[in-house]
Parts: sequence; structure tokens; C-alpha cells
Amino acid sequence: MVDVEQRLRPGTATADVPDTPASTWRNPLHPWGAEGAEEEIPSNPHRDPREVWVRTRESKAPLLPVGRLRYYHKWPGHGGRLWQRMRYWPTRRRVLHIRGEYNPKTLRREKTIVDKRPIWWVLGLVALLLAPAVMPADFQNTLMTAGATFGIYAAINLCWMLIIGTAGIYSLASYAVVGAAAFGTAWLSIHMGLPWWTLPLVGSAIGLVFGLIIAIPAIRLDGFYYALLTIGLNELCRVYTLQSKQFGSSTGGLYGADTYIPQSWSQESQSLLAYYACFALMVAALILYRFVDGRRLGRILKMAPEKREAFAEATGVNFRRARIWVFIISSIGLGFIGGFYTAHYRGVSFSIFSFDTVLLGLAMLVIGGIGRAEGAVVGTAIVIFLDKVLIATGPIRLILIGLIMLGVVLFLKGGLFGIKAQFGAWRDKKKSERRSRRAEKGGEMLPEEATETKDKDLIYWRRYDKMQRDYLKSLISPEIIEEHRKSPLGQHSEPLERLLLYFRRAPLADKYAITVVKPFQAYRIVALSGQRGVAPRIVEDKVYPTQDEAYHGVFLRRVQDLLET
Amino acid sequence: MDLGFIITNAVVLACIYGTLAIGLSITWSSVGLINLAYGFIFALSGYGAWLGAQHISTNGVVVVACGVLTGALGGLLVCALAFIPIHDKPNFTVRGLIATLAISLIGGQALLAIFGPRAKNLPEIFGSWKISLAGVVLTADKVGNVVVSIAVVTAVLMWMRSSRRGLEIRAMMMNPHAAAIVGIGVRRTGFYVMAITGGLAGLAAVLLSQTYYISPFGGLAPMIKGVSIALCGGLGSVRGAVIAAVLLGLNEALTARLMGGQYVLITQFLLIILILLMRPRGIAGILDRAREA
Amino acid sequence: MDAAAIAAPGGAPAKHEILNVKGLSAGYGPMRVIHALDFIVYSGERVGLVGLNGHGKSTLFYAIAGLTGWQRGSIRLNGVEVGRTRSQGPGRFTHLVVRQGLALIPQGDEIFHGLTVGEHLDSGAFTPRAWRERKQRKERVLAIFPPLVKLMDTPVGRLSGGERRMVSIGRGLMAEASLFLVDEPSLGLAPKAGKSVMAALMSVELGSSAMVIAEQNVALLEGKVDRIIGMHVGKLKGEASAALAFQTRREL
Repeated sequence: MVDVEQRLRPGTATADVPDTPASTWRNPLHPWGAEGAEEEIPSNPHRDPREVWVRTRESKAPLLPVGRLRYYHKWPGHGGRLWQRMRYWPTRRRVLHIRGEYNPKTLRREKTIVDKRPIWWVLGLVALLLAPAVMPADFQNTLMTAGATFGIYAAINLCWMLIIGTAGIYSLASYAVVGAAAFGTAWLSIHMGLPWWTLPLVGSAIGLVFGLIIAIPAIRLDGFYYALLTIGLNELCRVYTLQSKQFGSSTGGLYGADTYIPQSWSQESQSLLAYYACFALMVAALILYRFVDGRRLGRILKMAPEKREAFAEATGVNFRRARIWVFIISSIGLGFIGGFYTAHYRGVSFSIFSFDTVLLGLAMLVIGGIGRAEGAVVGTAIVIFLDKVLIATGPIRLILIGLIMLGVVLFLKGGLFGIKAQFGAWRDKKKSERRSRRAEKGGEMLPEEATETKDKDLIYWRRYDKMQRDYLKSLISPEIIEEHRKSPLGQHSEPLERLLLYFRRAPLADKYAITVVKPFQAYRIVALSGQRGVAPRIVEDKVYPTQDEAYHGVFLRRVQDLLET
Repeated sequence: MDLGFIITNAVVLACIYGTLAIGLSITWSSVGLINLAYGFIFALSGYGAWLGAQHISTNGVVVVACGVLTGALGGLLVCALAFIPIHDKPNFTVRGLIATLAISLIGGQALLAIFGPRAKNLPEIFGSWKISLAGVVLTADKVGNVVVSIAVVTAVLMWMRSSRRGLEIRAMMMNPHAAAIVGIGVRRTGFYVMAITGGLAGLAAVLLSQTYYISPFGGLAPMIKGVSIALCGGLGSVRGAVIAAVLLGLNEALTARLMGGQYVLITQFLLIILILLMRPRGIAGILDRAREA
Repeated sequence: MDAAAIAAPGGAPAKHEILNVKGLSAGYGPMRVIHALDFIVYSGERVGLVGLNGHGKSTLFYAIAGLTGWQRGSIRLNGVEVGRTRSQGPGRFTHLVVRQGLALIPQGDEIFHGLTVGEHLDSGAFTPRAWRERKQRKERVLAIFPPLVKLMDTPVGRLSGGERRMVSIGRGLMAEASLFLVDEPSLGLAPKAGKSVMAALMSVELGSSAMVIAEQNVALLEGKVDRIIGMHVGKLKGEASAALAFQTRREL
């Protein structure tokens, strides 16, 4: 038996279990020296019943190496003490979302950091802060300029992300607001001599006015109508500034505004100051994003996602007002950035209104993933890197950006930062499809039937019964039938004995039986009704001359029935 | 600068922009894609016509045919890239919009890299005669533009109204699911639609290049005009687009006459915003039920 | 398959298999609606498919048309394999199946709101031959549904529910199909209208094609179709010729 055990291990195949163990019949009476008893005689081949058992229990789903369940590192707890909960000031939030649990296996407390994003944020921001110290000297200039541009564009994109992602307004006029504020402040600074520190504030005012004007159509229009309209508005701004003499149609922009960078400083200090100022601007935009998206307005808008606005409205969520509020707040932010833009570059050019700027900005949002702050920042970093650092490659870099954008849109649902969720969803879909496809025909209950059945034992009984029938079917062979024909009663080989045991155990309803038509001369096969008082029904007309032949007839019918299930 | 001149100009421009707007409208309503790569198709077919004029013949018919064919090819390209892979995926409208934008970015840069930044101009395909009608001088290209664009648009509309493919396209506009059940292949119809609308863009490009030059990014301004007309008329409605084209053409003529050229865009957008505030779905206004229902 | 023998009324020409479904499973995402189902329809046959809500009647039809989320198993329509065994975008290959000779008349109002009744009927005839013969076919449909004659130029969006159902069924009948799948023709209609729609379906001359009608209401089908098949949790149960339907125990 030991080697059968080995052979039956899952994996080491089940098809060829040897029929040696039972293909001889050992006479139990032999040791007592019964008369004419032989010790063992050859018998019909037999198969091990555990073969079917193992095969049924084996998982047939191929285990593909497609990801795993979410993994959390478990940190040790602090004994009996509570975890120190730092909260940051204006909110009552903890810095990290930490879940404490008691692990019943190790009998210890442990902690899980559920959301690790704040850690990544801090690491990334610190890296940006320290970046100027480790820049290679050859590229110092390019990289510092690119870094400053990155800060400004990341701030713009964060505000834009508030409009598109949080408020769900497909506005493509964000750069128009920035440009309008920049042109306005530049003009004021040149002609009225405003100092640099007023420019962002004046810009905010211009942004507010612009935001209010642009917000009016957003009340009535939805989705793409608004997107197309704002493309038009952008073009309108471009053409207007391009044609008007006041805004320097001849010089390609408006330059000469006051700047916060002291001209007396050395080149390096100037670029360092610019870098950190833009970095501070980006951090300010992040804080704005956090406060709008993560607090009341953001919550209201999360309750009214796309296609479920009507439901939200019916439950009393005034999402329209929240949308307009978010729009106006972000417009003020964009105006502020516009003023900063002027103070940073000492002016502004028409290219801020051009379609390509909008396109690149949209590429930044889309590559990172719409609706997340990290998407806006990382997308900006990628595009700015391609656009400003690889500037020597010419138009190829724009084609590259376009290709990345196309690839992201065609293959990813939510940008780079949506990959994880998308992959998880895909894996779950595949898994569940495979699971629902997998079902054997026959005795097993289908999932729907199983839920409808009162007696849950029945489910497992059926599964067991099916397994047994599968096994018994594999035992049937002409030799066994021949053996039964020779002696329906008496000692049998193991396979035949197992078959007969199964047949005998069948429930009474529709069980075959034999009636005597004429003693010792005529027998007939009937089927019992299973109900008291109801006569058995006659199954066939054939009359068997002897009892043994009738037994064999019943056996043949039962074998037939077994093979048909 | 007399009134007649301005009005004829406006009518000519309205015809061309109307052609573009109808193309955009049909695309949106039948395959649900906002084709912002239309400007790229426009520029591409301009270059196609130019290549035809350089290498094959300067005959007007050949040039127009080259332009229309290149436009149709461009439409097929956009269809294959931005419609086929994602049309049954979630968020198709947004992703389609962005995909077409990406195509227009790539395409514009590619055209710039291949043909260089210098503008090209096409031969005069309608000859150089002129007639005088009630004191207004009509040059050949104006008459030709108006006649050709109206004829082609009418032909396309008639074809959509009467033929089997047209019926397919209209059926798909109204109920894509039922269209599949009836036996209309969504992808195949997508290719038809995009080829036709691309052809319309090509035609508009050839006609417009009688007045303007062909440049890698020259398609942008016409596309924005076309978009605003389609928007004003109500996306998906051909009749609305025609009315809007006439209306905006008139507005352009009047503003240029009364206030000066630089205010044209401002009045135009004020007009559009006004119309959209009154009827959020444009002039036709009732179209969208079929797609969102 | 003794029911097939009963299904030949008056010695019709040699019957062949129109539809042969073998081991079909189908569903949407993680949900499995149809379970390893076998189903054969012969030419000239009218089959009733009876089952409760949510037991997979519509899904069976959709699976035949390739409109489910995923499916596997063999579906042979006129001897051509149309079943696909991978999960595909629903409806991606439906038009090819329709071209093989399938007319699906779906549940509810799957109509084109803006088209007129006439255009609607035209839209049903998308195979080239049917398109050429659409005049005659339209007349035939109008003979079955006389109320539509007056409405030929009205947009379908303005019709009443019963008229819409007529248009929808008429659109299906316009096709040069060898298999008509009619999904719940009486759903949402007044009993009288439902009966008249059913009578119209019964009056369609099938010739060598076949028709499968899914219904919840057995009474509407009894005695009118050649055989009735019950459907229970995604499997076919108890098949009987319609004449026997009164006597046999229904497993519904």
C-alpha cells in the first residue's frame, strides 16, 4: 500500500495506478485449512478508489503567476502602549493611516501602514529639495531652468487637476486663465510700475474675474460641449493678444515686468533662488489641492461622480455649487500662478495661449492619471523632462510625448498611477471568468442551484456520489460482467463487489426488483415505486427462465443506468 | 471694402467651415468620437493635394481628388488608432478625445519634420476668371468654392439619406446596440464614417488653400472654427450645423464691417456662448438622446 | 430526439439542423448564466422556450448572437461555427453571426428612435439579397402587421408600445434569416395586444427556417408551437411536444 500512497500524491500523476494489489484474490479461509482452498487465485483487475478522490480534489485552475494579494509589511507593536498619533495642524488627520491589530497566530500586537503615499510624497519632495546639490555641473543650467519650469507647470497642473479631476469640468482654458493673469500683471507692472510682490495678488484678482466669466457657461453646458467651448476661448485669447498692440504683438510677448530675482546676484544664486521659489509655489499648490480635494468640497463632489449626479442631487447633495466653488478657487490659484509667472520670467509670451501648450499640459495630466495629485506632478515631471532637457532632439521629442500620451490613453484607464488598480481589476476579472467557466457536468450542483437548496448536505452528497459513480464506471469491464453472469451470488472479485455494494445501496424509488411469475420457471424485472401501497411497475416484457438469469438481467440494467448518468 | 465683398467672403468661408463642421458632427454622432485630429487631417490632405499637384498634374480635378483621398486616408488612420482599440472600453469619449489630440500632436510634428515650416500653396484649380453680379465681383475661386462645397455636402447628405450605408450610419447614431443586433458592424461602419468625414476635411483643405496657404499647423484655426460651428449647431445635427454656419458667417461679415477685424472672434464666441446658454445642446438641441439613452 | 419527429407537419421537405448548440456556457464577468447547454433546432420548427425571469432565456439568445460578456462552447448555425470561445467585447462579431442567417428580435424596445417605420423595416434587411428584395419583404411584413401601413412615414419614437413591438418584430422578419429568435414578444404589452402579436408570429410562414420564442407565459404558447422546452437556472429541462405539454409535469 505504501507505494500506492506515493503514486497517488498529487502531481505524480494518477492515471496508471497499478492494478496489482487487488488483481489477485486472497482466500481468507486458507489459513484455517479449509478443504480444497487455495491461498490466492487470479482475479479481475481492480483500481484504487483514491485515484478519483485525488483527481476530484485537485485544483484544475492553472496557477498563473499574475500578481498576488496586497502585501503589507507588519511592524511590531508597542506592547500595551497606544501608538503615538500625530495630527497635522488645521485638520484632525493623522500623518499616516496606521491600523493596529492583534495577531492571533503570533499572539502579538502589530501595526500596518495602510496608506504609504505620504511617505513617498515626503521622500520625493525631499529629493527635489536636495536636487540642486547633486546636479552634474555640466547640466546645472539646463536642469535648474527645467526644475523651475517644472515647479510652475506642476502648480498649474495641480489647479487644473482640481477642475478636471475633482470638479469634473472638462475645461481646457486653464492656460488661458494663467496667460490672462500673466498678461494683465505684466501690463500693469510695465505701465503702472507695480512691484513684484503685488503681481501674484493682482493676478489672483484677474483670475477670479476670468474664472467667474468662464464659469457661467459651465452652469449649463456639460462635458464635451464645455471642453470644445474652452478650446475656442483659448484660441480667442491667443488671437486677441496677438492682434492688439498693447500686448506687444510686435515683440512676440510682453516683457520688462518687475521680478523677484535680484539682478545684482550671481548667475548661480539667481537660478537657485528661482528654483526654490518655484518649488515653494508647487508645494503651495499641493496644499491647495489637499485642502480642496480632501475636505468638504472634494467630499461633496466625490458623492456625485459622473453618471450618478442625478442620484446625488436627489439625495440633497448640491454638487453644482461645489463644482463652481472649486472652479473659482482654482481660477484664483491659476491667477496667482499667472502673476508669479510674470514675476519669474519678467514677462510672458503668446505661446502660453497656443494649442500646443494646452496639448502638452493635457499630456501631463493624462500620462500621470486624471484625478490624483501625484499624477499631475509626475506627469509634469516626465513631460518637462522630455520637453526641456531633451530640447536638442528637436521635433522628435514632441512626437515622443505624443506617442507616450497615445499609448497611455489606449492601454491605461487611469494613467500611470492607475496601472495598479487596472491590473488588479483585470486579474480579478480573469480569475472570476475562469472560475465561473469551470464546472463539471453531472452530479455536482451548479452554483445557482446550490444557493436555492435548503439541505446543504445534499450538495456534498451529490459531489461525493458523482465521484463514486465516476470511479465505479471505470471498473466496469466485460470480464466483470462475465464474472457476474457465471455467479450472481457468492464470492466476487473486488471491483464487482464494490459495484454490487453501490447498487444495493440505491434508494428504493425506482429500484429494480424481481417478481416471480411462476416459481422456478418465470421471473420478471420490475421497478419499485418507493411509495407504500403503490405497486411496482413492470420494466420490460422479457421473462427470465431462472433466478440467476434474472439477477444478471437486473445487474445489466443497473450497469446500463450507471453508464448513462 | 464694400458690403458685397464682405458678404461673399463670409459666404465662402461659411461654406468651407460648414463642410468641416458637418464632418465633425457626423463623426461625433455616429461613432461617438470627438475628432480633434481633424486639424491634422486637414493639413495632411492639404499636403496630399500639394504633392499631387507637384508630381501628377495641376489639373483641378486631380488636385481635389488627391486632397480628398489623402483626407480619407487620414480619417482611416485616426479611426484605426483612436476608435478601433478603445471603442468598447470604459470612458471611451474622454479617452477618444485625448487620443485624437495626441494624434494631432504627433501628426503636426511629423508634417513639420517632413515638409519643413515653409508654407506651400496650391495651383488655382478653378481657373482665374471672374464675373460681376449686381455690382459684386465674384472671382472664380469663390464661385468654385461655394458650388463645390455645397454640391459635395449635399451629395453626402443625400447619400446618407437614401443608401444602405447611410442607413447603417444613421442607425448607429441612434442606437449602437440595436445596430449590432440588426447586423451592422460597428467597426466597419466606423471606418466608413471616418473615411467620409476625412474626405470632407480634405475637400475643405483644398478649397481653403485657394485663399490661404498650407502649413503643418494650418489646420488648427479651421478646426476650431469648425468645432465652434458644430457646437453652436448642436453636435450631431447636420441641419443645425448648416444654420450655425450661416449665422456665424453673417456675424463675421457684420462684425468685420461694423467693428473691425480683431473683434470677430470675440463677437463670435459671445454669440456662441449666448446660444449655448439658451439651448445647451446647440441650435438643434434635441439630438443627444439616442447616444446617452 | 423523438420531438423532432413530431415536429414535421405534413411531411415537410427533409429537415436539417438549423441551430446546433453544444456545451454552451455563457455569462457576464464573474456571473455564469448558462451552463453547458445542448440545444438543437430543426428547420421548419417553432420552438417555445419557457422559464422564469433570470433563468437565462435572453442570455441564451444573446450568446447565440455573440452579445454576452464571455462564452464558450460550440454554436453551429446552418452548419457554420459561430461560437467563439474567448471572452470578447460584446457585439464585436454579432454582425457576422447575423450575416449567417440569424434574426434576433430582442426584448424591450431596441429601436432607432429617429428612423421612420419604413426605414426601420429597411434596416432589418441588411444581407444583400434581402436588400434587393426589400419591397416584397416589406409587403409581406405589412400583410402580417396591417396597422403599420398607415404609420410608414412616422418616426418610431412616436409610436405606442404595441406598435413599437410590431416594428421591432417586423424588422426581424425582414431579414433573410434561417433562424428567428424572438425574446418575450408579449412583455410589457396589454394581454390583448400581446395575444395579437403572438398570433402574428404564429402566422409567419417559416418554410425552411425556424423560430424560437422565449416566453414566461406558457398559456400563450401551448398548442401553438411544435415543442416547448423549459429553462431552469441556465439549463434546459423537460422537453415535450406541445400536444403533450398539458399532460406532462412541468419542471418550472
